[in-house]
Amino acid sequence: MRVVALILAGGAGTRLGVLSDQRAKPAVPFAGRFRIIDFTLSNCVNSGIFDVGILTQYLPRSLNDHIGIGRPWDLDRSRGGVRLLQPYQGRGHKDWYGGTADAVLQNLDYLRDHRADTVLILSGDHIYKMDYRPMLRLHEERRADLTVAVMNVRPDETDRFGIVLTDDAGRVTQFLEKPKEAPSTLANMGVYVFNVNALAERMQALAPKHTDLDFGKHIIPSMVESHAIYTFPFEGYWVDVGTVDAYWETSMELTSGQSKLNLYDPAWVIHTRSEERPPAKLGPVGAARDSLVCNGCTVRGEVSRSVLSPGVYVSPGAVVRDSIIMNDSWVGPGAVVDRCILDKNVVVGPGAFLGWGDDLSTPNQRYPDRFNTGPTIVGKGAHIPANRCIGRNVVIQSEVDEAAFSAFGETIPSGTTIE
Amino acid sequence: MSVMAMILAGGEGPALSVLTAVRSEAAVPFGGKYRIIDFTLSNCVNSDIFDVAVLTQYQPRSLNDHIGVGRPWDLDRTSGGVRLLQPYQRTKGERGAWQEGTADALRFNLESIPAAADDVLILAGDHIYMMDYRPLLRFHHSRGAEMTMAVRQVPAFDAHRFGMIAADPDGQVVEYEEKPKRTRSTTASMGIYVFRRSALVAALTAGPGKQQHNLGGEVIPALVRAVKVYAYPFQGYWADVGTIQAYYEANMALLGESPALDLHTSGWVIHTRSEERPAAHFGPESRVGRALLCDGSQVDGTVTNSVLSPGVRVAAGATVRDSIIMTDAVIEPGAVVDRAIVDKRVVIGANAGVGAGETNTPNLKWPERLNTGITVVGKRAVIPPGATIGRNVVVAPYAAAKDFPGSEVASGETVGR
Repeated sequence: MRVVALILAGGAGTRLGVLSDQRAKPAVPFAGRFRIIDFTLSNCVNSGIFDVGILTQYLPRSLNDHIGIGRPWDLDRSRGGVRLLQPYQGRGHKDWYGGTADAVLQNLDYLRDHRADTVLILSGDHIYKMDYRPMLRLHEERRADLTVAVMNVRPDETDRFGIVLTDDAGRVTQFLEKPKEAPSTLANMGVYVFNVNALAERMQALAPKHTDLDFGKHIIPSMVESHAIYTFPFEGYWVDVGTVDAYWETSMELTSGQSKLNLYDPAWVIHTRSEERPPAKLGPVGAARDSLVCNGCTVRGEVSRSVLSPGVYVSPGAVVRDSIIMNDSWVGPGAVVDRCILDKNVVVGPGAFLGWGDDLSTPNQRYPDRFNTGPTIVGKGAHIPANRCIGRNVVIQSEVDEAAFSAFGETIPSGTTIE
Repeated sequence: MSVMAMILAGGEGPALSVLTAVRSEAAVPFGGKYRIIDFTLSNCVNSDIFDVAVLTQYQPRSLNDHIGVGRPWDLDRTSGGVRLLQPYQRTKGERGAWQEGTADALRFNLESIPAAADDVLILAGDHIYMMDYRPLLRFHHSRGAEMTMAVRQVPAFDAHRFGMIAADPDGQVVEYEEKPKRTRSTTASMGIYVFRRSALVAALTAGPGKQQHNLGGEVIPALVRAVKVYAYPFQGYWADVGTIQAYYEANMALLGESPALDLHTSGWVIHTRSEERPAAHFGPESRVGRALLCDGSQVDGTVTNSVLSPGVRVAAGATVRDSIIMTDAVIEPGAVVDRAIVDKRVVIGANAGVGAGETNTPNLKWPERLNTGITVVGKRAVIPPGATIGRNVVVAPYAAAKDFPGSEVASGETVGR
């Protein structure tokens, strides 16, 4: 069996708001030091898979910088290693990737060049730790055309997933993409092992009919009758942090120490690219409780239930709680950051109050369906003027400065968008 | 102008007690995530010196592992880069070829200096400082010196530890005294030298220098009398952490509000090899004030005025005060660590006390080295649950329950071999 992994990392991740308006979702920072894609990439190398293609399309620069030549994952290899596969033009062909399967179809030559007979299709925006080897073994033993990793989800979430029905042997008998009424809670995790020839035949047969050729919508449903599709049950922790709510909740679980995601397991290390930073410095006064704090941070204020990425500076008298603060952001003296997500290089002026008020459920006026549970989000490099009081579910766009706040008074009401 | 750096990292550092029982002084952890040699190595690459030899002899394995092919310093290069130089035999079966001192070590490795190198920068692997060597090199060239040494001011009472110099107004060294009992000079050599390559070769292979073993004690005094040697004054922070007390103080000094050695804001990055670790986690009951902590730490207890390396675990109800705790050490529930240096992978059992009591009996075996109340626990030692260990105690590396005479170890004792 010759296996190549392809990681789908081209999606826009629009529901993450300003966190993904300058980078692809897989490149969004997570748990302080990591990017979301680190989990999938590390799963690959920890599973002994060293031929990895990453399909990019939307805002790839941050991702390109992060992956580089793949050194942190030992994927800078003479043979194989990591390749970033961008959309490209050819003679008589100049299309962007139309859908997930279309992206794979356009890179079929990559699989052929590697003489792969088996391809592992992964998503770059899931947080989970998984050894792919047992799944690949099962796929081979059963001579399957496709093996789909599945897990049980809550009955109220079935409409977000592809739901599968199987016979006693684990063979898929029905596949329903995001059904309103689900006959089962067994959900597709978006982790597929395909026989390359079967996949190529299906993609080529369906491509003329669908410009947005998609695994869940087109490829898999078309194979249920005619091909051997099996499930592989996955029991571990898996989460899609595709919404601000999910992102915030998942991060908060990690700070509590109660998360089922154990980052400290030396047997399954999550690798990432990191800059050289000195140790985190606490004090002389200052404290951190129920928090994740990375190298390069300086904490002179009070931090609780929060995630601080490398290089965050919390000034004396500042309070940070229930928040996620990314690299090199600065929280000024006496400022309060409550239930916020601050992207990189944000400056919170002295005495500013971010996340003020009890009205957690006042939705954002522009995106009421996306931001309605409280977190105020500040885009990369934004500057919050001193002594401003900013409410809940506020969205502050990347790179805004004091001028953008001039239209508002001292208090910026919940649900506002500043750009 | 091409320069090569040679870092002397073969020394034993006996005054660092059990910290150097398992590794050379240059490889001793410092400031949480660093090794002592990282400062000198990073100074080299930050000064655009990419041709670096590290001379080893005593317990080199830890150092070899740390430096590897030099990747963290971008010294994994096709031409130049870092090389580790070991002692070697020049003829088959040659005995007694070990290097007898710094000058001897350099003499053994003169052939490693590439022909293109006009100057050789001789550095020590056991100093903590941030220094741009480029102004030193410019000074050396501008004076047309055969050799230039970096110097700094020291208090008169410290003069007996250093090579003390006197220089004329242009900077030429007119007098050099190695570790004088009494002197009027307060200008000390830092053990950082730039040699014109030919001057170094001549000093070590011709005349009386041929037989000399010690650079600072023998070769330099003779050189000052014979050729043009200049002194370059350095103003910044510099510490020789060759004693337990100096090592402890230099670590603790990092905890100040704006420390003299500022790792956080100086823009002079110290590079090191680090393992992949997640963010440090602070539990719900944790109380941390005035501390350096590294990625991979998990703190559920109390930590004050301490430096913690990556992966240290402080359990709920445990207390770490005024201490240095190295990589992956575990402080179990209820244990108290006070004014101690705890090496890698040590386990302090539940409710044990390390650095307990008020008696300050100097260590009976090494009274001149351990007399300020600091207890040192060697690598991978296991302190049994409930044990009480006094002050100035040395616990040998790998010491286990059977090595402890009882559940109480009085101040000044030594446990294990």
